[in-house]
Amino acid sequence: MSDMISTLNTFIADEILKQPGRTFAANEALISSGLIDSFSLMDLALFVEDTFGVQIDDTELNADTFDTLEALSEIIQSRS
Amino acid sequence: MTITQILILAFLAILLGWLTRKRQRVNLLLTASVLIIFWLQPALPLRYLDFFLPTFSIGFTVLAWTLTASPEERYKKETKTSAAITLGIILLLAATRYLGLTNFLTPTRPPAIGQILLLLAIFTVGAFLLTRQRPSSSNTLLWAGFALLVAFFIILKTPALVLIASRGWRLFIGQNANLASSSDIHWLGYSYLAFRLIHTIRDRQSGRLPDLALGEYLTYVIFFPSFSVGPIDRAERFIKGLRQPENSYRDDILVGGQRLLLGLFKKFVIADSLAMIALNPLSSTQAQNSLGAWILLYAYTFQIFFDFSGYTDIAIGLAQFVGISLPENFMEPYRQPNLTLFWNNWHITLTQWFRSYFFNPFVRALRKSRKISAGMMILISQLATMILIGLWHGLTWNFLLWGLWHGLGLFVQNRWSGWAKVRIAEASISSRAQRILSIFGIMLTFNYIALGWVWFVIPDPVQGWQFILLLWGAA
Repeated sequence: MSDMISTLNTFIADEILKQPGRTFAANEALISSGLIDSFSLMDLALFVEDTFGVQIDDTELNADTFDTLEALSEIIQSRS
Repeated sequence: MTITQILILAFLAILLGWLTRKRQRVNLLLTASVLIIFWLQPALPLRYLDFFLPTFSIGFTVLAWTLTASPEERYKKETKTSAAITLGIILLLAATRYLGLTNFLTPTRPPAIGQILLLLAIFTVGAFLLTRQRPSSSNTLLWAGFALLVAFFIILKTPALVLIASRGWRLFIGQNANLASSSDIHWLGYSYLAFRLIHTIRDRQSGRLPDLALGEYLTYVIFFPSFSVGPIDRAERFIKGLRQPENSYRDDILVGGQRLLLGLFKKFVIADSLAMIALNPLSSTQAQNSLGAWILLYAYTFQIFFDFSGYTDIAIGLAQFVGISLPENFMEPYRQPNLTLFWNNWHITLTQWFRSYFFNPFVRALRKSRKISAGMMILISQLATMILIGLWHGLTWNFLLWGLWHGLGLFVQNRWSGWAKVRIAEASISSRAQRILSIFGIMLTFNYIALGWVWFVIPDPVQGWQFILLLWGAA
């Protein structure tokens, strides 16, 4: 779980926010806070699909389904 | 909706909330919703159409359920009960023609019973034939249903096509076709009905739609508090509250009552007062100077918010009375520091719908094709989405321009924040400076949105442009 969160954290910091080294708390709001916009959210979904081999549906790309690293990694684990 | 209609609905919802706590929840809410969509449908100059349109709403919903339901759901005992309730109410309403109760629950005298029976028979046979479909053809049929819903939508939102449809109906029913007008057809709730049906069709295709009984599905789509003004709930969310209320009846009445009162105040006190000085096509030509024009525009900017969010509060309050929590639609949209956050907080359920069923699939396809640059992809997808949202209000030039205005605004803001995000983080500016930046962002965003309303409210783009010139003292 912590490896997964760390992988997701690195991708978001390096590739989405272009702020390498930035860390997020596992329960920090990423989508509802406006940190990740809707384009970056698609990048995150494609990254998750390629890296962890699970499907994230287009209707799930919102803060209600997952807003934090913790919630996203729970979804990934429940599907892998 | 008038204030009298809302108060009648409130009384009914309080009663239903009490009656449905323990038993017959779906059947009673379905009965009320079927009756109410006939009652709320406005009278139309086209004879009998105001009875047929709600019947079509129900017929389309039943066909969509047949397409999306699993075979086990279709043959459950409850299905027959829900079908019997729905057919029974429509026939009962039709019978008012013969009972001297005309205009009691329908806006005008219902058509002859033979015509209604014929239409109901067509829908019933249609639903029966759909149950006989081969599994291999089910996806094609789902796409056909989707296309049909969009086609009706295009007709209803295009004035020239409404005129043709009106002429056709007048000729068919024996009325004077020369009197046809492009404002003859007002199909109450069709937009929201189409959004809900398309959501279930697309989720069925992706395998994400939960099993829904016919009564649950019908109640979800034509649920009377949100039928004509939204919010557009998602089926899986809605049925949780439909199957089991989350709170006690007492709490629901208190929370729903507060929300209803807030909505009534916002709509009938604030919005209706602002309407007296708000921008409209006529007042835009009467403004004398720049200051007067800004007052009209700001009044409209707040009027549309209080009007729409007031209606949403009313819908949420009424739904709470019957133990169903609808999703929020407006969360301080005018206090957002950028346009993206405005759209995350304005008509939230509509933008989420477009994100789920248009924007995300579109961006996914563009991302995977890797044929265009990231900047171009953002521009195309922002413009396409916002133009579609604009055209949802009507297929006219002014709504196209309104969509374009917001699409371009979102693109510029996206590029700017991409550039500024890194620099602000690097510069590690003080929290005070950040607050000032945020206030500047709120003011800029608010005024950009306000200017966009000019395109929205004035149907003629040339007249809209004249008004924008007047705002800047250039006319």
